Parts: sequence; C-alpha cells; structure tokens
Amino acid sequence: MNFEELQKAWQSQDPGAKVLINADGLLNEVRRNQQQFRMTIFWRDVREVGVAFLLTVLFLYLGVRHHDWTDAVLALACFGIGTFMVVDRLLQRRKQPASSDSLKTCIEGSLLQVNHQIWLLKNVLWWYLMPLTAALGISIGHSVWRTPNPGFPALMVGVISALFVALVYWGIYRLNQYAVRKSLEPRRQELETLLAGLDQ
Amino acid sequence: MNAEEQETIFRRWLNDHLGLMLKLVRAGAATPEDQDDLFQEVLVNVWSSIRAFRGEARETTWIYRVAFNTTMAWRRGEWRRRRGHERFLKFDVSPQLQPSHLDSLPEREMVERLYAAIRQLPKVDASLALMHLDGLSYQEMAEVLGISENYIGVKLNRIRKQLADQLKGANDEL
Repeated sequence: MNFEELQKAWQSQDPGAKVLINADGLLNEVRRNQQQFRMTIFWRDVREVGVAFLLTVLFLYLGVRHHDWTDAVLALACFGIGTFMVVDRLLQRRKQPASSDSLKTCIEGSLLQVNHQIWLLKNVLWWYLMPLTAALGISIGHSVWRTPNPGFPALMVGVISALFVALVYWGIYRLNQYAVRKSLEPRRQELETLLAGLDQ
Repeated sequence: MNAEEQETIFRRWLNDHLGLMLKLVRAGAATPEDQDDLFQEVLVNVWSSIRAFRGEARETTWIYRVAFNTTMAWRRGEWRRRRGHERFLKFDVSPQLQPSHLDSLPEREMVERLYAAIRQLPKVDASLALMHLDGLSYQEMAEVLGISENYIGVKLNRIRKQLADQLKGANDEL
C-alpha cells in the first residue's frame, strides 16, 4: 500500500456508522460545562481578591473603632494586594489566546501566560508576603511598644506571634515554589518543546 | 451573534464535521475514557469559538485549529477530575470511529496501526500528519499551524519517513 492508498483508506473512515449523537443532550452538557468553568474562575477570583478586600474593610473598621493607626496600615497592605491581583487578572485576560488562533499563536500565548504565572509565584514574597509581613510587624511591634512596662511576658507574646506569622508565611512561600516546580515548569518545558517543533 | 444562531451553527458543524473531530480526538488520545474527555473538551471549545467565527477561514480549517489547540492544552483525566470522576457522557456517544466502509481487513488494520503510529509522533508532527492524510493543502496547513508553507514540505517528508518506519513491515511502499 502506498501513501495515496493509505490516504484513501484514511479518508474513507465512516464516523456516522456507529456513532449516535443526541445533539440536544450534548448541547446542554456543553453549555453546562462552559457555565461551570466560568463559575469556577469567577469563584476563584472572588475567593482570592474578595478576601483581600474583605480584610481591608475589616481592618479599616477596627482601626476606626479602636483608634489604632496600625490597623490602617494592615488595611492598606490588604488593599494593595487586592488591587495588584485585580489589575494583573485584567491585564492577563486581555492577552489570553483564543482557541481558534493558529497553533503557533496559541502556544506562544500560553507560554506567555505560564511564564507570567511562574513570575508571580516566584515573586510572591514581594507582592504578597512582604507587604503583609511589614504591616503585621508594625502592628505587633506597636502593640508591644504600647504595653505599659513591657516585661518578659509581653515580649514573649510578641516573639511568639512573630514566629507564628513567619512560619505561616514560610509555608505559603514553599507551597508556591512547589507549585512552580511541580506543575508550571514542566508545562513551560512542554510548550517550549511544542514551539520548537513548529520552528524546526 | 445570538445564542440561537450559535446553537444552529453548532448543530450544523456537529453534523458536518463530526467525523473530523472524532478522528482528531482518536489520534490525540489512546483510551476510550481519554477520548471521551478530549472529545468533550474539543466540543466545549468549538462551541465557545463559534461567536468569533466570521467565515474568513474555512469551517474545517477552523475546527482543525480549535481541536489541535485543545489537544495541545489537554491533560489526561483533567475533565474527569473537574467533573468529580463522573463520566461526562450520559447519552449514547462514543468517539469511536468505525472504519466500516473500508474495503478489506488489511486496510482496517492499517488505519488502526496508523492511529497508533500518529499517537507516537510529537504533537506538532501528529497535527501535520492528520491534515496531510485528510488532504489539506500546504496553504491550509500553514494557516492552521501559523508557520510558513516552506516549512510544511520539509516537515512532511520527515513525518512520512517516521510513519513509514513505524509501519514498517506492514507498508513498505510509504
């Protein structure tokens, strides 16, 4: 069999013979899945950005109620993080490749997104952990400072609080770096291989 | 485009291009479960892409693009994970192409082996092989992949050789 015969055999496959399609059911499932996907993205954004803005409001309220300016610093840190996430999402959404783009455009677009995601997670210390740490440090330090005759117990409370925060943040940082290594780096490699396959 | 028009086009595409979608799915995933997953993913993306379709490209070229892009991004079992391990298809659809119109058993076997050989190729090469087998022109292939036509010829020669190596014994004339 030569290539032309093989091609002929390939083209004469009949898809309709044993495939039964319930078009209505299929359409409903497709619609339902698209909706479900949109909702998943929406709720992910609400969770991540919503928490930041909710904490902003909470700390502002506490600051006004207790006349404590350090709460305003915490609110500012949360607001900054929330705003950063919103702006980043909006900018990235614009760059998202469409599934009907050419394969090369789509791979390049996906690669840009993965690279950006890696950049975000690798720099989580600077845009997420550091502002919060600074604000919390100010808040804890100020509380200890304001305590009349801050003896050993007050100092210990301050140190333990700081250690606890540091431990939680270290965990968050490690988790992000794990996600980069485990899922994003392999994906980047895969996309780079695909792109190289198109260019070779 | 309103939802009704989108639905009309989707139904027509499903009717006209089901064979093409199933071939691409079968070449992109080996097991029936994975084919099922990938098929759903392709359909969702085809559905979403309809609003962007302006008729500038041929429908088949458009579907190739969507299906290839979906296959490249697809992860085994992802759909099932998203759906909580529930089988997506509750109706009678199985993306199994039956080469029932093929004249003889050797031809059927050859097509089966060809699917297996295509799955062994790197994804980009597999995409080209599929379009080549379906008889697309160099220009159409270049349009789908986003590379120059000059590349296509060179790549196809290499791919034919690779396929011939894999089908060796069964097909010495490739």
